Amino acid sequence: MTALYVLDVPENTTVAKVAAEDPAVTVGKLGPYFEISADGAIVVDRRATGCRHAVWYSCVAGVGGGRIVQHDKNALRVDPA
Amino acid sequence: MTDGTSRDATGLEHKVRGVDHTAFPTFDPAATVRFYRDTLGFPVVHSICAAGWGPEDHPDFIHFFFDIGNDDRIAFFYYFGLEPIHDRERGDVYAGFGPEVPEFFVRSRHLAIHVDDQDDLLEYRRRLDDSAWPVEMQIQHETIESIYTHDPNGYMVEFTRAMRPVTPQEDLDATLTIDALLDVVAEPEPSFGKLLARKAELIVERAADWELSRTTEGARQ
Repeated sequence: MTALYVLDVPENTTVAKVAAEDPAVTVGKLGPYFEISADGAIVVDRRATGCRHAVWYSCVAGVGGGRIVQHDKNALRVDPA
Repeated sequence: MTDGTSRDATGLEHKVRGVDHTAFPTFDPAATVRFYRDTLGFPVVHSICAAGWGPEDHPDFIHFFFDIGNDDRIAFFYYFGLEPIHDRERGDVYAGFGPEVPEFFVRSRHLAIHVDDQDDLLEYRRRLDDSAWPVEMQIQHETIESIYTHDPNGYMVEFTRAMRPVTPQEDLDATLTIDALLDVVAEPEPSFGKLLARKAELIVERAADWELSRTTEGARQ
């Protein structure tokens, strides 16, 4: 299980919303964090989030059970470990 | 600051009251006064005229202060007879850097002065743009908007406004970041990936309890 944690602040909410569009991905809350989890990869399209660079490159609070294999202007991708 | 601050971690009462002053050397007091007093409108609020003393052949100097709001101050030392201590083009009058030093490092150290809103930010932009030190960069992130320039001494100065108030959960997040960072740098080869992995563990350990304690506190109030 791969888990991506994103702090719930206004500018980050679209990250969780876009991630949730993948039916294989579950988005819940753990305290003030979005817990975005999946058995496989988690992929978030940057343009769909509307995030500009400063927020996009600092939106990840934690990664459990996986690692970031892509975090560029196109997408954030976390693969299972 | 709210929950999750250093007081919770250390038990030490937080009694300080902001910046009394931050001090920098200058070799050009005339331009420094033109920049801070005449361009930005920062009042001169204090000065010390001191004859050199002590074993180090200390030069005579003037130590002068400008108010940067909130009773905080930026101060300068002008030393009579002291020549610039380096002739490198990169950096500021305090420290020069050669080509081997990356630009992001040279540009990392700066003073950021807070303003309340965009009107005030743009007012300082106007003042700078009408001067010999125009704004070099204006950046609006989702959370802050800032303008940047360099003062006559090469020191980078930022004016910034918050686009929204800081939320309590950001204090928790900062606490978890620092705890994770300390764990990661205590081990060989620290990396961003290791920090995010450690921080995920701390989130799992603490985030739910933090939310619960906030809810409980809120119910009591």
